Amino acid sequence: MGRQRLRLVAVLGTLVLALAAAGCGGDDDGGSGGGEAKGGGTLVFGTSADPVVLDGSLVSDGESLRVIDQIFETLISLKPGTTELEPALAESWEISDDGLQYTFKLREGVKFHDGEPFNAEAVCTNFDRWYNFKGSFQNSSASYYWQTVFGGFKTPEEGSPEDSFYKSCEATDENTAVLNLTKPSSSILGALSLTAFAIASPKALEEFGADEGKVDEEGIFQPTGSFGTEHPVGTGPFKFESWTRGDRLTIARNDDYWGDKATLEKVIFRPIDDNAARLQALQSGEIQGYDLVEPQDVKTIEGDDKLQVLDRPAFNVGYVGFNQKMKPLDDIKVRQAIAYGLNRKEVVDEFYGGRGEVAKEFMPPEVTGYADDVTEYEFDPEKSKELLREAGLTPPVKIEFWYPSDVSRPYMPDPKRNFEAFSASLKEAGFQIVPKTAPWSPDYLGAVDEGKAQVYLLGWTGDFGDPDNFVGTFFQTPQKAWGFDNKEIFDKLNEAEAETDLDAREGLYQEANKLIMDFLPGVPYVHTKPALAFQADVQGYEPSPVSLESFATVTLGGDGEEG
Amino acid sequence: MSVAELEARAVELEAPSGLWRDAWRRLRGNPGAIVGFVLVGLFVLVALLAPVLAPYDPREQLGLSNAFDGPSTSHLLGLDGLARDELSRILYGARFSLLVGIVSVAVGLSIGLLLGAVAGYLGGFVDSLIMRAMDVMLSIPGFLMAIGIVALLGPGLFEIMVAVGVTQIPIFARLLRGSVLAQRENDFVLAARSVGVPRRTILAAHILPNAISPVIVQGTLALATAIIDVAGLGFLGLGPQDPSTPEWGTMLADVNRYFQTGPHLAIAPGVAIVLSVLGFNLIGDGLREALDPKLRGR
Amino acid sequence: MLRFVVRRLLLLVPILIGLSILVFLWIRALPGGPAQALLGERSTPEAVAQIEHQYGLDKPIPVQYWRFVKKSAQFDFGDSTTTRRPVIEELGQRFPATVELAAAAMLFSVLLGIPLGFIAAKRYGTAIDHASLVASLLGVSVPIFFLAILLKYFFAVELGLLPTVGRLSVLIDVEHPTNFYVLDAILSANIEALWDTLKHLVLPAIALGSIPLAIIARITRAAVLDIQNEDYVRTARAKGLAPGIVDRRHVLRNAMLPVTTIIGLQVGLLLSGAVLTEKVFAWPGMGSWLVDAIQDRNFPVLQGGILFLALVFVLVNLLVDLSYAVLNPRIRLS
Repeated sequence: MGRQRLRLVAVLGTLVLALAAAGCGGDDDGGSGGGEAKGGGTLVFGTSADPVVLDGSLVSDGESLRVIDQIFETLISLKPGTTELEPALAESWEISDDGLQYTFKLREGVKFHDGEPFNAEAVCTNFDRWYNFKGSFQNSSASYYWQTVFGGFKTPEEGSPEDSFYKSCEATDENTAVLNLTKPSSSILGALSLTAFAIASPKALEEFGADEGKVDEEGIFQPTGSFGTEHPVGTGPFKFESWTRGDRLTIARNDDYWGDKATLEKVIFRPIDDNAARLQALQSGEIQGYDLVEPQDVKTIEGDDKLQVLDRPAFNVGYVGFNQKMKPLDDIKVRQAIAYGLNRKEVVDEFYGGRGEVAKEFMPPEVTGYADDVTEYEFDPEKSKELLREAGLTPPVKIEFWYPSDVSRPYMPDPKRNFEAFSASLKEAGFQIVPKTAPWSPDYLGAVDEGKAQVYLLGWTGDFGDPDNFVGTFFQTPQKAWGFDNKEIFDKLNEAEAETDLDAREGLYQEANKLIMDFLPGVPYVHTKPALAFQADVQGYEPSPVSLESFATVTLGGDGEEG
Repeated sequence: MSVAELEARAVELEAPSGLWRDAWRRLRGNPGAIVGFVLVGLFVLVALLAPVLAPYDPREQLGLSNAFDGPSTSHLLGLDGLARDELSRILYGARFSLLVGIVSVAVGLSIGLLLGAVAGYLGGFVDSLIMRAMDVMLSIPGFLMAIGIVALLGPGLFEIMVAVGVTQIPIFARLLRGSVLAQRENDFVLAARSVGVPRRTILAAHILPNAISPVIVQGTLALATAIIDVAGLGFLGLGPQDPSTPEWGTMLADVNRYFQTGPHLAIAPGVAIVLSVLGFNLIGDGLREALDPKLRGR
Repeated sequence: MLRFVVRRLLLLVPILIGLSILVFLWIRALPGGPAQALLGERSTPEAVAQIEHQYGLDKPIPVQYWRFVKKSAQFDFGDSTTTRRPVIEELGQRFPATVELAAAAMLFSVLLGIPLGFIAAKRYGTAIDHASLVASLLGVSVPIFFLAILLKYFFAVELGLLPTVGRLSVLIDVEHPTNFYVLDAILSANIEALWDTLKHLVLPAIALGSIPLAIIARITRAAVLDIQNEDYVRTARAKGLAPGIVDRRHVLRNAMLPVTTIIGLQVGLLLSGAVLTEKVFAWPGMGSWLVDAIQDRNFPVLQGGILFLALVFVLVNLLVDLSYAVLNPRIRLS
């Protein structure tokens, strides 16, 4: 599927990031329910693909999550446009001192779309369901978030994780659910805001066979239920209405919603996989909005007064990776020469439609542990050549430079262009570039992961608002893609991850970032703000750094009169 | 086909030089073919003289802030997305497109002819085996097969040419087999055989030269198809490893994405492809008509 | 006749077996597999092994092949790895979409191609003839995706006359019992839906029809030229039959024979072209489905889809041969 935009918001302590400050208005009210409803209406939203299934516990791709977020709700949610936690289906919660028991006070008077009451029983049914997943539901392409947050299952299949954080769930009274863990985990509370842990109607799960399946002659479990395809029943502001694959998916307003009711009558999601086609459909009025706008189109959209662009806060990093196993990259001087030879500012300024900033390190500035005083490498081709000579090499030095041929990621909307611009500046800096390419997945990622790529373009979209999710995933253990074994960096990152004192932890990550940028395992070059586009009369859509966005606050027909 | 026509054809095939002279005469009288020759001539000329004609280095980036600039007096076709002179890239592109066409067709033609000749001449089990294999290949839409082969080999200029070439194998194999079968029973072949000329010599000296005219027609048309198919692969993101290669198909690859940012970038390589492909098609069409005995004397 | 059909159907068997082996080996030789493609940046050896086990990809290839043959004989091609839906169900939606598009393209090319070829032949050797030849050759000389994008940009985006993507506006609701949207609209007597779905067909059909248009025009021209000189046509003329009647009764009717054949032979070309056309117009058909499947290493879709396509293709060729025999009593099927 490739296009995952994960949104695992683990909260290791304060996740009150500086994100609120980072654009997206930061208004007090979030504009929700602002004024009277302007007559409902239908909004057509262009998506890049059909959802896989409408069952949050079994998907991790952005297009499934986008729809599920409208139909289902979690115990804990995020304040719109931020990564701050706020109560949702749970009104309040308490954690026992040993960290093993989470007690949730549930919201009263909430009903599922099928009329069933939402209560502690329902919550525990859902947790038990996830824990009891079997067969293909245990694939990490399905229940990825459960496995990342809670670990294993009751009866693990071959290859599934053995241990689980999950012990049990008890409904102590109608509106109190107690979650028991086998060991403490600082990330679980925040993780409960993930769509993967949204609560579904137990009756619908049962009636439409969410977990049913048949075991075929090969002994392989094949799901057969229709819960996730035809009968997804949650508590959210919208109800599922119909779904014709490849054509449209329709959700309708839930008039019995417990909170502020949606103004839109219907939202239709229409899959259009080509980006240019989505833009054209927006221009011709066939859709009213779409996600993943490419930077070069931002100008076109902004120049059209019938259209508007919305920004999502930057939560990613694009970088040029080095594999130190491949000579001469084992030499720090050569790595520095490449760093000085990449004209990063030019690429970011010209190719990111004003939505990128030049990266100094491997995490965006909003994340704790960002260090302001790391070594920086301004474009200086002469210095590159000098460094190469110092390393005992004579320019031009030949390097193999990889780029993916067919993908568009927020951090590199057109990898080919980045590649060509970087190649030109590296040539100026005394390198000879051997171009290498492959389709993104599985070919390109495979080549990089297996350490076959010498110098390569890659990046990362954060799924945790935590430094561990950036530098930790890259540099905490030896990886073939990087091909180095630097004990100092590994140790520093391990120490930082284990540290519970928040200030000390921040300091350790800052030190790690400095070490990393001196050691130069790769060159980060961009943090970018992904963009969404809408017709000008669409109001009230609030972009979120982790893409948890609701259509319930959206209105049609309002025109440009916002403060 | 009437008996008289069959005879006429046989007579012509026995006298190839006359056939060709005649064909050439009729080709000259066909304005379509003339236009075709002019277009292809220009195409080849540009390919050969690209370094002389091109005002700039086709790979040199002239300041990224100028990217997508429209046509101007210093850059007649404007600048591309990486601020390279589009005109120079179009001129150099003729080389790659010609190369792509020729190599692809050479792959398809050589393997196809070999298989077709062997099948047609040996007949029997070998024939069925080869032809059934060709049937299998033909039952997959050609372009889809090309995509499949590139997926297997990985992208790259050479890989694409091979992929497109392979899809043309069955066409040539069938064509040549048909011709060889028709020739095999011809009087002069039977005569040669009866005086004990070895099979291989018969095939090489008598059958092939006479079976070749439809192959030439098909080859010309295949050149056109190859250039188009390579462009199509480029459009799907399966282009050469080095994206700065000024190949027309690759230059069109981003046509959809950047159509609204720099429409001039879509028009130039598109028109270049259409004109060169049209040239080959016109020649192929003219040749077909000129070499077709049924249309003679009209 | 019956014998001929049976023989041809029997010939299908080795082709399909050969094809299934070819496709199967090809798929297994592709770098990476569905597991890597599904996991993307998160792929780890353990996760890959787990998923491969799930799809039975850890078994020896002959075992996998046998399983595939056994299942596909019952029209069970397994589930798509990306959408997790049965391949046969997706096929039921994708195939009609492509057939509808191809049929519209064919209609366009026939309606325009036959008159074009006829006129060219009647004016043989004149400027009109050459112009129409060049024009029809232009049709085969334009890369189909290029034409599609130009059409879409000017008629849909700039002028706003026609829709840019898909088969039907999302604001129109209509049942889809057949998945041929035109048919569905007619069946439900929904004029609005019919009009809308026809509008969606126009641009893709023109783009896809450009190639068969050129070929049909040329074949018609050649056939008319041929038949004009036949004795019976000359006789008809000589006995003073009005030229219009001669043309209609004798020339055009007989010229239709080769044209019919060539229409059948365009199927492969249309499917090739559909890959690109569907991509540009976000048309949910077979072409874009299979290309995406290659990229996603969606083994079940590739296996089932390509095999099905080939089967249809071969059957259509058989039909072409049969119709040719029916239309032309001079041909004996031996």
